Amino acid sequence: MPGALISCRNLTRIYQMGESRLKALDDVSLDIEAGEFVAVTGASGSGKSTLMNMIGGLDRPSSGTVSINGSEMSTMKPSDLARFRNETIGFIFQQFQLLPKKSALENVMLPLRYRRPAVNDMNVRARESLERVGLGDRARHRPTELSGGQQQRVAIARALAGDPKVILADEPTGALDSGTSQSIMDLLVDLNERGNTIVLITHDAHVASFARRRLDFCDGRIQSDHRSARA
Amino acid sequence: MNFFTTLGLAFTSLTERPSRTILTSLGIIIGVAAVFAMLAIGEAVRQQVLEQANSTSTRTISAYPDWEGSRRSSQTRGARQFTERDVADLRLLDGASVVTGTIQSQGTMVSATADSSGALIGVDSHYMDANDQAIASGEGINDTDVSQRALTAVIGQTVARTLFRDQNPIGQRLKINAVPFVVKGVAGPAKAGSWRGQDPDDFVLVPVSTMRTRLGGANRTVRNNIAQIQVVGRPDADLVRLQAEVDSVLRRNREISLEVPPDFRLLNFAANIEAFARTAVMFSILLAAMGTISLIVGGVGVMNIMLVSVTERTREIGLRMAIGARGSDVMSQFLTEALMLCVFGGLVGLALGYSAKFLPFWGEELTLAFSLRSAILAFGSALLIGLVFGILPARRASRLNPIEALRHE
Repeated sequence: MPGALISCRNLTRIYQMGESRLKALDDVSLDIEAGEFVAVTGASGSGKSTLMNMIGGLDRPSSGTVSINGSEMSTMKPSDLARFRNETIGFIFQQFQLLPKKSALENVMLPLRYRRPAVNDMNVRARESLERVGLGDRARHRPTELSGGQQQRVAIARALAGDPKVILADEPTGALDSGTSQSIMDLLVDLNERGNTIVLITHDAHVASFARRRLDFCDGRIQSDHRSARA
Repeated sequence: MNFFTTLGLAFTSLTERPSRTILTSLGIIIGVAAVFAMLAIGEAVRQQVLEQANSTSTRTISAYPDWEGSRRSSQTRGARQFTERDVADLRLLDGASVVTGTIQSQGTMVSATADSSGALIGVDSHYMDANDQAIASGEGINDTDVSQRALTAVIGQTVARTLFRDQNPIGQRLKINAVPFVVKGVAGPAKAGSWRGQDPDDFVLVPVSTMRTRLGGANRTVRNNIAQIQVVGRPDADLVRLQAEVDSVLRRNREISLEVPPDFRLLNFAANIEAFARTAVMFSILLAAMGTISLIVGGVGVMNIMLVSVTERTREIGLRMAIGARGSDVMSQFLTEALMLCVFGGLVGLALGYSAKFLPFWGEELTLAFSLRSAILAFGSALLIGLVFGILPARRASRLNPIEALRHE
């Protein structure tokens, strides 16, 4: 499928653990179009996190290719890969990964600090991002002064600040209660409806049900690929 | 990430943990202070040695008859003194600028109102020059006084005060060992330290000829005797060579061949200065070693804390890498932090080192000479330490795998 935003071809990742070889991804090929909301599900060890690391440019395939927006990542130099991550990917983590001593605004600005050429209106863009997740009035607060749901919103604002092509969310509700999870998922749906491409990694069927496409992984392979109208 | 953002990042990271920052830089502070103070002490000593090397007293070679090391004849007859001829011959040496011969003794001085006792010295007209002393009022002993065996005296400041109080001593009568003299001049204050513990201004000068004939300074065996000779070298003269020449003139006049030990002794203060300089150099080396060790220990401290910091902030590093920090960004972040610790330590250390100036044990002689050059050297070595010991933690940080770093607990 030419023109797909994310394109994986024969993607294989083998971990060498002493004598034994673990095939975390086994000859996976898939395409994700711009504007899609894809949930990647599977039990732990199914290969879904490995896939996320590949798409996010944090790890390299043992064989096969990953390209996003036309750039082939598997052959990039480390410094180009860092730049690629900065410009193309917005990460959302289960544990939020906010810097505890920095304000919400500082945390959201972080990806822009590594942008080259330097961004002049970092403050404005970070503030806009915070407003999009409904935390415009919490810019000066530190993560420790915010609730779990608010912290994850700050992390989402951080992912949005760099204006990425893809938002990669790894168990974004894993550390939250169900009510807060609902509001975070509503926010992600809202962002998708405004045009953001989202790839969501989860083991939770309910969380996955918010996506319009569901890829089920087992033993490093795609077991099923469903598209559905949004629930 | 540009230079200033990296600086800002390092700065906030250090100010977020103030007590750790201070404790970590303590080793650097002490090291820089020690190096800075050491350089100042070394420079002060060097200046002082230079100053003394150029002073009259350092360039002086003194000759004494030797009544301990000489041979049988002097044990039975006492020390053989020098003569006016020796003094005259030594004046012909190229390297000598001033040569003076003296006869020293103790005397009792009585004025109209008071009396005192102290050093009594028979001198010629060169004595004041050879001892770097000036006339405060009146005149000094001149060649006419010597040739006419005049009953004139020049007195030191202490004598003037004791014997004449508020009166002007010039022209006053003064009995020395019951011989009547007239005070001709008052000497200016002596340079400190030249008389080793005695009051350097407690003396009376009379013509050397008068000393012999009227005050008991004559010698049974030597005509025109001189008890001590001072030869002051020219500022550009080679003192070792001059001393050898003095030795050979005196041996020739006293008919002592070069193979046998002489019956006189030559002393020069250059040897003292050299010994002092050697001690000072040893002291500086000791301080330098202490400073260097302290700097290295400080550097190891910085490295330790930076390694701890890298471990503590593994997740932060993983996050930064995930969102676009290059290995070099992380590297420069941690290296800048280590350097900044050392900059802080260096600045505080310079201040602490400078305050060594106010320690009580330097005495009046030694004024610590702090210079921009030594500040730069001390500060520069702190930076170098920061760079050397900062590289390992910074490299470790920059080589973390972001996936594992993000999972780090």
